[in-house]
Amino acid sequence: MRFKKIVVLKLLFFFALSLVLLHSLPAQTFDTMKKQVKVHTLSNGMKFIVLERHEAPVVSFHVYADVGSANEVAGITGISHILEHMAFKGTKIVGTKDYAAESKILDEVDALYDDIKREKAKPQPDAAKIKELEENFAALEKKAKEYVINNEYFDMMMKEGDQGVNAYTSNDATQYINSLPSNKVEFWMAMTSDRFLHPVFREFYKEKDVVMEERRLGLETQPMGKLLEDFYATAFKAHPYHHDVVGHMSDLQAITRKDVHDYFQKYYSPSNLTVGIVGDVNPEEAFRLAELYFNRIPSGPKPEPIRTIEPEQWGERHVTVEAKSQPILIVGYHHPDVRSKDTNALDALANIMGRGRSSRLYQVLVKDKKVAVNVVGINGFPGDKFPNLVAFYAMPSTGHTSAECLDLIEAEVEKIKQELVTPEELTKFKRGAVKSYINQMKANDNMAALLTYADVVQGDWTQLFDQIQEINAVTADDVKRVANAYLFKKNRTVGEIVPEKGS
Amino acid sequence: MKNLTRKTLILTLAALFCFAAVSLAQKSPKDKFVFGPLNPIKLPQIEKVELANGLTLYLVEDHDYPTIDMRAMVRTGSVYEPADKIGLAAVCGQALRTGGTQTKTGDEIDKELETLAATVETGIGQTSGYIMISVLKEDVDHALAILADILMNPAFREEKIELAKIQQRTTISRRNDNIMPIAFREFTKLVYGKDSPYARSTEYSTIAAITRQDLVDFYKAYFYPNNTIMAVWGDFDSKAMAGKIKQTLGQWKPGKVVIPPLPKVDYAYKYTVNFISKPDVNQSNILIGHIGGLMDNPDYPALSVMNSILSFDRMFKKIRTDEGLAYAVWGDYEANYRHPGIFSSGAQTKSESTVYAIELMLKEMKRITEQEVTDQELSKAKDTYLNSYVFNFDSRAQIVNRLMTYAYFGYPLDFMEKVKAGVEKVTKADVLRVAKEYLKPDKVQILVVGKEADFDKPLKTFGEVNVIDITIPPPPQPPPQKK
Repeated sequence: MRFKKIVVLKLLFFFALSLVLLHSLPAQTFDTMKKQVKVHTLSNGMKFIVLERHEAPVVSFHVYADVGSANEVAGITGISHILEHMAFKGTKIVGTKDYAAESKILDEVDALYDDIKREKAKPQPDAAKIKELEENFAALEKKAKEYVINNEYFDMMMKEGDQGVNAYTSNDATQYINSLPSNKVEFWMAMTSDRFLHPVFREFYKEKDVVMEERRLGLETQPMGKLLEDFYATAFKAHPYHHDVVGHMSDLQAITRKDVHDYFQKYYSPSNLTVGIVGDVNPEEAFRLAELYFNRIPSGPKPEPIRTIEPEQWGERHVTVEAKSQPILIVGYHHPDVRSKDTNALDALANIMGRGRSSRLYQVLVKDKKVAVNVVGINGFPGDKFPNLVAFYAMPSTGHTSAECLDLIEAEVEKIKQELVTPEELTKFKRGAVKSYINQMKANDNMAALLTYADVVQGDWTQLFDQIQEINAVTADDVKRVANAYLFKKNRTVGEIVPEKGS
Repeated sequence: MKNLTRKTLILTLAALFCFAAVSLAQKSPKDKFVFGPLNPIKLPQIEKVELANGLTLYLVEDHDYPTIDMRAMVRTGSVYEPADKIGLAAVCGQALRTGGTQTKTGDEIDKELETLAATVETGIGQTSGYIMISVLKEDVDHALAILADILMNPAFREEKIELAKIQQRTTISRRNDNIMPIAFREFTKLVYGKDSPYARSTEYSTIAAITRQDLVDFYKAYFYPNNTIMAVWGDFDSKAMAGKIKQTLGQWKPGKVVIPPLPKVDYAYKYTVNFISKPDVNQSNILIGHIGGLMDNPDYPALSVMNSILSFDRMFKKIRTDEGLAYAVWGDYEANYRHPGIFSSGAQTKSESTVYAIELMLKEMKRITEQEVTDQELSKAKDTYLNSYVFNFDSRAQIVNRLMTYAYFGYPLDFMEKVKAGVEKVTKADVLRVAKEYLKPDKVQILVVGKEADFDKPLKTFGEVNVIDITIPPPPQPPPQKK
């Protein structure tokens, strides 16, 4: 008798459950994942967020340092990115044949560099002296190089099968990624804790040369790169979003190894590092190893937040870049950071205006008027931890101008401020957002990135999942409200590439 | 007595085991790590289904996420378009999707799909056409219906053809705005020949020559179910999914398809030095190389190992790390499935170090053909490949798409395992042998794009320079109106 009752109850439960499942499929996926996430913070403040999943015997690791080009001031622009490069140069153990001997020479090299800088800065520099100093510098660098094991960090990681070893710097963060077979978790712990415990910024001056080439490659030789640099500088007169992540060339030339060391001390304390680990891993074991390896990094104060807040624009701003290129147009409007209550409505606005062939701007500029071959709406530009921009980018079609594109964009902006968006447009945005998150979450490395971003920038890793409900709650009134709140001329910056003669 | 001894033994062993399993002290990065065995790789079940109309499906279930994706390869390609209508395949692939169907306009389809956040796309590349679907699972029926309609009843409306042509013309007008695309485009022409289907550029005249009938004829030549294979992965039951596809795409009528052979590449090794002037840059783009090879070459595993060493241990370590001359630098003997790839060594360096960088790149290219690589370089290259091999199985999407690609190009389905077995056996002597046989440092083609006024030395340091004119040929003039 008792047995039968239990069976019936079980059947009822599963039936009810299946009904729920049928109507909230994405919700089920998110809920399941959310429940799987485990978190542990070391006593030195370093936080580990672990999601266990066993699709394949691999694990992705993501170290999120809460420092980016937005933390930089004039004179050290580009330093966050230089530091990222330096993090691959090894430590007292990795990358050197004899650190004790090497470190003495490195200090001498730095001292010579300072001497050269000092001499060059004089109103009447002594050319002969500079030449001599530079020759000594080159000789000392060569001597220091004898102790270096070229790219040993990379070699050691790749040898163990690190598929994704890399890093990237943005306005808001510096992020280090690795993906290893799952029987090498402790190896990652050993290498990475060593990396942030006692890094050695060797081959510093040569690596600065590499970064300068990177600036030429991605910015100075590309019309679009130049446009973006000038666009940020114009839209942001005060806040450090005004300079490009790669930094100004003169700063790159002037930054010293001591600058980088000081910056590292200030911004890489364990309380400023968050680690995401996703894949075939046991969370308890991961936490045990994290304690063992990372707790030896001494705790330090959380760095002072940046001080400068971008004030309101006093008028519309316009910047042109002359280049041997066909025209390109960007229009951007200021709005609050990603934690604001307006964030999802602004994402909806960017999506409805400029994502996909059925978006408003694409319909008008590309399909109807044929003045552009592409037009896109983007939000969270250039970063989103601080107040940033919603922007529209257009590439005019041959024979048409940025001015024509701008006129049509303005007309659509006015329209979206007057009329409510349609239910279909809202559905497009919401379903698109949900689908995009699901797809991003499939890969371990993306998931680790999402978890750390949510924790550091959005305030809590749970927000990654909770925001789905917030996205689904955006109304047409919300979109109208934010359009009126932020899309007005005084608040906008227009940037364009203007073809040079002979383009 | 016996029992006690055994019990003690077991307890002791257990204690020892526990003690050993839990590391109490941090290991140094350079300590010897003894890695436990890797957890097994789960190979998903792949269902192969061939519909009556010839459409071949490879289905893989994945119940972790509520999405369904499909990707099909159609045997076609821009290599088959006529020389006076370059761009025809791209426009056809685009207009197939955007031009609407007999019952729906392209705009209606765009809106319908985007409201669902469903993606349905078609396109034609160089050696294959593609069709893809990406949806939340509840929309799969809807997306399949739209795709079937597109494939079976495409309208190729003039308005959308014109839009595609506007995009093509705009791309032509912008093709010299950025230095890297110039370098790759022109280098490809140097290797394959400027008129080769693997290298040729669209021009205003070729775009102008394309008619709607051309597009329809091209579509009718290749877009058939019996000429298409499709990978399907996501949250479904394979049988049910095959049934859904049968109901929709199963109605697509088969047809007679004649696939021309892939164009041949007749490469004659020669040493050339080429220059393209771009005075508005402060960094040169350098490409050096010649023809590459095919993946089914038995030397492919050894060449892969060689590539790894040449790119990272030689080019990157020397030219980027040691010299600080470039951010991106590589040396890669490229192998394709059915037509030869390109061997290239490339870098981008400030104008003032252009010639110096080229000298170093040539030196490294020569060195690997003259001396064996070191034991350390070899073992690291092999370990890198073998230890990361597991990543080839980290998603079902990857597994099924790889399978489909091998099937499309007629490669054995266990091709990757064969390569792995080959890599395991590669020796230093093998690497030297293939370097000598396949790399010809004395017969490379050098291409530099940049501002010669700022070069450290004149480019003619390397030999007679052929200056390439990349001026875009103007649009054809309309015929004069008869009065």
